[in-house]
Amino acid sequence: MNTSSAARRVRPPGRALRMIVGLATAVALAACGPGVAANRGGSGEPRQGGDVTFLIDSLGDTWIPNNSAISSFQGHIWGHLTDKLVYVDEKGVVSPWIAKSWEQNPDATEFTLHLRTGVTFSDKTPLDATAVQANLDIWARGDATRGINPIGLFPKTYDHAEVVDAATVKVFFKAPTLGFIPTLGYHGSILVSPKTIALPAAQQADLSNDLGSGPFVLSSWKEGDSVVLKKRADYDWAPEVLGHQGPAYLDSITYKLVAQPSVRTSAVQSGQADVAYNPSPQELKSFADQGFTTATPRYLGFVNGFAVNTKVAPFDDVRVRQALQHGIDRKEIISTVYTPDWQPAQSLFQSNVPGATDHSADFAFDAAKAGALLDEAGWAKGADGVRAKDGEPLALTLYANPYLATSKSVDELVSQQLGKLGFKVDVQAFDVVTYGERVKVNSPSVAAYEVTRSFIDAGIVAGILTDANKGENWFGLGQSDQKLVRLATGVAGSGSVEARAPLLDELQGYVLRQGYFVPLTQIVQRIYLQSPRLHGVVYNGLAYANYYTAWLG
Amino acid sequence: MNRDYAKYALRRVLQAIVVVLLAYVFTFVVISVLPGDPVTNTLRNPQNGFTEEEITRIVSYYGLDRPVHEQLWDSLSRLVVGDLGVSLRSGLPVTRLIGEVVGSTLVLALSALAVALVLAFAIGFGTRYLPKRGGQGLLRAFPALFLSVPNFVVGLVLISVFAFQLGLFRVIDSEGGAATSFAAIALGIPVSAQVAEVLIANLDHEAGQEYAAVARSRGLGRTRLFLRHLLKPSSLPVVTVIALTVGELLGGAVITEQIFGRTGVGSLVERSVTTQDLPVLQAVVTLAAVTFVVVNLVADLLYPLLDPRVRLAGGRSRGKAEVAAP
Repeated sequence: MNTSSAARRVRPPGRALRMIVGLATAVALAACGPGVAANRGGSGEPRQGGDVTFLIDSLGDTWIPNNSAISSFQGHIWGHLTDKLVYVDEKGVVSPWIAKSWEQNPDATEFTLHLRTGVTFSDKTPLDATAVQANLDIWARGDATRGINPIGLFPKTYDHAEVVDAATVKVFFKAPTLGFIPTLGYHGSILVSPKTIALPAAQQADLSNDLGSGPFVLSSWKEGDSVVLKKRADYDWAPEVLGHQGPAYLDSITYKLVAQPSVRTSAVQSGQADVAYNPSPQELKSFADQGFTTATPRYLGFVNGFAVNTKVAPFDDVRVRQALQHGIDRKEIISTVYTPDWQPAQSLFQSNVPGATDHSADFAFDAAKAGALLDEAGWAKGADGVRAKDGEPLALTLYANPYLATSKSVDELVSQQLGKLGFKVDVQAFDVVTYGERVKVNSPSVAAYEVTRSFIDAGIVAGILTDANKGENWFGLGQSDQKLVRLATGVAGSGSVEARAPLLDELQGYVLRQGYFVPLTQIVQRIYLQSPRLHGVVYNGLAYANYYTAWLG
Repeated sequence: MNRDYAKYALRRVLQAIVVVLLAYVFTFVVISVLPGDPVTNTLRNPQNGFTEEEITRIVSYYGLDRPVHEQLWDSLSRLVVGDLGVSLRSGLPVTRLIGEVVGSTLVLALSALAVALVLAFAIGFGTRYLPKRGGQGLLRAFPALFLSVPNFVVGLVLISVFAFQLGLFRVIDSEGGAATSFAAIALGIPVSAQVAEVLIANLDHEAGQEYAAVARSRGLGRTRLFLRHLLKPSSLPVVTVIALTVGELLGGAVITEQIFGRTGVGSLVERSVTTQDLPVLQAVVTLAAVTFVVVNLVADLLYPLLDPRVRLAGGRSRGKAEVAAP
């Protein structure tokens, strides 16, 4: 009764009946479980037609496809305007889409893609092998002479692609690249018309020139204001796993920029819009109580956590790193900063990543153990509660990650927890620009770099953890840790997922036990508040909401 | 007198041009001094995973690795031929970006000005009409109150009451007539305060003049006295104040547009400032400077014509200071 009166307050009068119906649906949905599961179970049969309004906090910067496709905001629109070669679901399972099948050589250096036929871009240009080749080239290399970026996370081992026939493309790599196929489902890998690719950057920046083959086409757009999509009537090449073929149910989707979070959520509560993006995590429970659907899908990638720089004292001592590892109470982070929709980390990878294994025990919270490790390492507690050794305090600076809204609150909590152990923790928060300038992974001034990074395939670790093959060298180890180098190289060189799995498992355990990576929680970077009228929403491996299968009840 | 006026006009026009050019250069310098630019900032987002080599190549395509004075020279030579350049953030021509939003802001600013004037004159009339103890004092406190309540608070309250509770307008349809009216009210309220202050002061002054006393002694009603005798002389200084509120309107538009979800010059500025999109900022600041300078110039040039008492002693008009761009 409490919830219905709270909900009615924000609705215009005369909507009480609809509200009650909405509540009933919500109660039924809530029984199905939280998040994704609740959304898929709609009541009754999908209905044709309807217009959905999605309120978003930003529409990103440029619309040049290569430069914008991985934007957390524009990715929503690209996901409806374009298709990808493969589909990656929220569990990381890869399935056919525009590529109906594929094979690889035993070394994973050559891949053959067999394309679906009859697929066209919205300008009727066929999406054939030539078009795929043009897309692969621009993803891998970009075009610096026209100001077009490459897709940063596309495998740097790409060599070239060959058109075998209209429906077959062969792709060559300089080194084993098992991650290639999953990467084709990454948000950067959107297929656009070769005519668009050939345009100069200034024209690609005009969204109306960017043509895809997706279930929706552009109806209108206004820079920094809105993007209106309408359904494409002859669309007939959806991923099989979505369980729906042919045109979308919805007639249109309007993405409208509303910068104020409270205006976004109130508009959905008052029935003026259907979806609000990025409401604050703390409000989710009250929205759910009022009968609205909330979704907190996880992307595939690293969990939120710290990459520890082993070059920076005192973190060159494995005992200090392990004290950090066991000194953080992750349960308290979830109960204080987040809601039960957030899941504790089980490894350095999100638990939905294929190949991620449960290593919770390797970094379980144990203050006594952490304290003993610090004692053993010679860090004695002083009168002020701060540990010191040779006159140096046990200090650590955390830099809140500006790409994650909750990062500062999490860091402040961590600083309290570590403070009890005897660490002297300072939390710094910078804006995006300053952060980019000052806080870099593996920099001598950053002992713990807070990671938020999505990926499609866990094989990416090979190019991150050490400095082999221009790797990012997250822990400042170079190639000094033989075991880590052996594991990372093994992962990179694996020709099959089966051969790679045990190596990945061993690598996760090793990195965590060495205290190289200190996980916090699994990360949810995209949060949705949704009207109970909207059913059938699907979230992909990058946690983007897909409205191709959605319908209004 | 005529020759004097021509000399005065010429001087003011030349000053205006210098102010606009200075605004253009000043924006360039300020933004260039700050670290970062939209291109590099995007490339450096750790999510993107670019190598240093890739970053260097793209940055050099945009010429952002060249010395600042060369970039300034480029930008000035472009300006001379009327080319405002391309936005570093969106990749779209600056003229297109501004063209898309200028109409919305113009509509908002003009309706806000109308709201402000109606409010100010209503308050002004009220202070003359209401008896001293019958609400006049309260009315006189309004301008101070309007100035002290931040624009965004007014905006949020209006949205919460009229959009969400009463459903009088939809936040989604932010450029619609109803939504525009409420945005204009939010923006117009603080602006009305400045106009009302000056108007009330002048009304008080004029009401104390002998001619007003004479008019009253002849039995003229309060309304007729206000409309026939007090309004005109009290309104003249208001012209100057209106010219000065252009800055207020442009500045307030940034916040009002943000809150009401409107896409105007203000929201373009907001996006460009947060991403350090230099070409757009230069163009917008220049546009604002031009607007401000032109409106004030027109007010300055009109003033001697409207009020014959104003002497052009040494080319300066009464009570009018030189004002730089906002």
